[in-house]
Amino acid sequence: MFALKLLDRLEEALIGLLMAVATVVIFASVVLRFLSSVPHVQDVAIRLSMTWAQELCIFLFVWMAKFGAAYGVRAGVHVGVDVLINRLAPRPRKIVVMIGLLGGVVFTAVVGTLGAILVWEIGQTDQTSEDMEVPMWIVYLCVPLGSYLMCFRFLQVVASFVRTGQVPHRHLAPIEQPQPVGEQTTGSPSEARSAKQGPA
Amino acid sequence: MNAALIFGLLIALMLTGMPVSISLGLTVLTYLFTMTQVPIESVALKLFTGIENFGIMAIPFFILAGTLLTQGGVARRMIHFATTMVGHLYGGLALAGIIACALFAAISGSSVATVAAIGSIILPEMVQRGFPKRFAAGVITTSGALGILVPPSIVMVLFAVSTNTSVGKLFAAGVAPGLVLALLLGFTTWLIARRRGLPRLPRASWHERWQALREASWGLALIVIVIGGIYSGVFTPTEAAACAAVYSFIVVVFVYGDLNLRQVPRALLDAAAMSSMLLYIITNAVLFSFLMTSENIPQGMADWLTAQGLGPISFLLVVNVLLLVAGNVMEPSSIVLIMAPILLPVATRLGIDPVHFGVLMMVNMEVGLCHPPVGLNLYVASGITKMGITELTVAVLPWLLTMLGFLLLVTYWPGLSLFVPRLLRL
Repeated sequence: MFALKLLDRLEEALIGLLMAVATVVIFASVVLRFLSSVPHVQDVAIRLSMTWAQELCIFLFVWMAKFGAAYGVRAGVHVGVDVLINRLAPRPRKIVVMIGLLGGVVFTAVVGTLGAILVWEIGQTDQTSEDMEVPMWIVYLCVPLGSYLMCFRFLQVVASFVRTGQVPHRHLAPIEQPQPVGEQTTGSPSEARSAKQGPA
Repeated sequence: MNAALIFGLLIALMLTGMPVSISLGLTVLTYLFTMTQVPIESVALKLFTGIENFGIMAIPFFILAGTLLTQGGVARRMIHFATTMVGHLYGGLALAGIIACALFAAISGSSVATVAAIGSIILPEMVQRGFPKRFAAGVITTSGALGILVPPSIVMVLFAVSTNTSVGKLFAAGVAPGLVLALLLGFTTWLIARRRGLPRLPRASWHERWQALREASWGLALIVIVIGGIYSGVFTPTEAAACAAVYSFIVVVFVYGDLNLRQVPRALLDAAAMSSMLLYIITNAVLFSFLMTSENIPQGMADWLTAQGLGPISFLLVVNVLLLVAGNVMEPSSIVLIMAPILLPVATRLGIDPVHFGVLMMVNMEVGLCHPPVGLNLYVASGITKMGITELTVAVLPWLLTMLGFLLLVTYWPGLSLFVPRLLRL
């Protein structure tokens, strides 16, 4: 149990951190570009030039996407079409939902394995990335790791679905806000928090 | 034949309630595995390289900025400013809500965030001032949809990356239609408000207006940073999004104090989860459109449609119906990612401008956001007002009809979308 809790926290910390680092990196590279046309500081700025920032940002976000997708299974943020299953009687509904979940298990397991093969093959070569020259197999490692983790999360959801008949469905709320201060807002934002949310 | 097989499988998988991303991926795997000789290992590589594109990275940044900005302070000041400007007209507070939605849409890329941010503040206040609850909810639910039309817009970025259209051009193209839609929604509101004699607020003095503008300026400055920054060539859309995220962080945490530093990790996690979900759909959608192109399906469809003698006018009508139907089961990002790469080649063959087509899709998605069963704006509004979805569906009708009329306007008047990009010589 403790190990699982630890895994949960690590996963959350990792994706939050990747998001933060990517933001800071791109912001810093923009600031540096500005400074490199300002007299006096431009020499330093040019020497620090962050041409690798874009590449790093892409890698950070791809890693975030793979592990965040696994977190998303646990948190229930992946959007799906639930128009049909909501109209089914409980028994057929259970079967259809189960098929859907198993589809997730199969897909992530297959992709994880394909990714592992890919990483192994690239590990035999000495491919490196263009700007930062990191070995590509390390970069691609997120595909098998993330997919297997996601597969594990799907299995967890299957287990809890069998036990409780519930699937996680936290539609992330856009509002993560403390009670607004001042102003006569009577409506509690926590209501909106339970509302469905999507990326649109 | 192949097309029917692929789409049949995709639809069957999606109907099980499986995440859209997984359905897309599984369709591709199954097809490649059973029907073709394409080396299946290339799939894993595509899962990485599919989103290896700096343009796509604007999405997580815009989502982070949006998550931070929904914290109340920025939205509240925008509402206050809008109220001082139009509060004295019939249904003044509702009109202010529309303006505030349009302003907020210009700093956030999401319509759900817009409804949540503006709605959670203005809806309770409208009810308190004697507006019928239905009327209030109807206005805000629909004007929140401006979020994806007025730049920046996450769904527009998705359209741009999945069709290789310029993000800058699309953003510029959204400005004029966004303003027109805001005006039309405002006009509908004003008509209803006048007929029903809804409350007006006392006229604010110019001094009060100036004061309110100054207070709102922290948020409004973001419009200048993002839009101005992109068009003056200071930075790319992705860099603009990253700067917007940093700026929002500073405003929300240090200037307005809506969030304390301890709550920031939570906001980061929420934004990261939402972005990952989208990036995961994108990856699989890239895989899916790779399959589509390798099977020549968009070309086949284009050939077939032109052979049927379908001109641009009837084609656009078909597209609108198709998208409106799709809007009944899927949310905008999935629709855009799946449909845009298939429909756009046909559209360009018929001489329709890609940018115009993009705007048309956005307006279509807006309509889908405001009606059940999957209209996310409705669910957010229902969360805020505690109204049932059925009641809300009736409540949004006048504005939804306005939007449908506007959709026709956008569809058959390309100039409306193309005029700003031309003006900016993009």
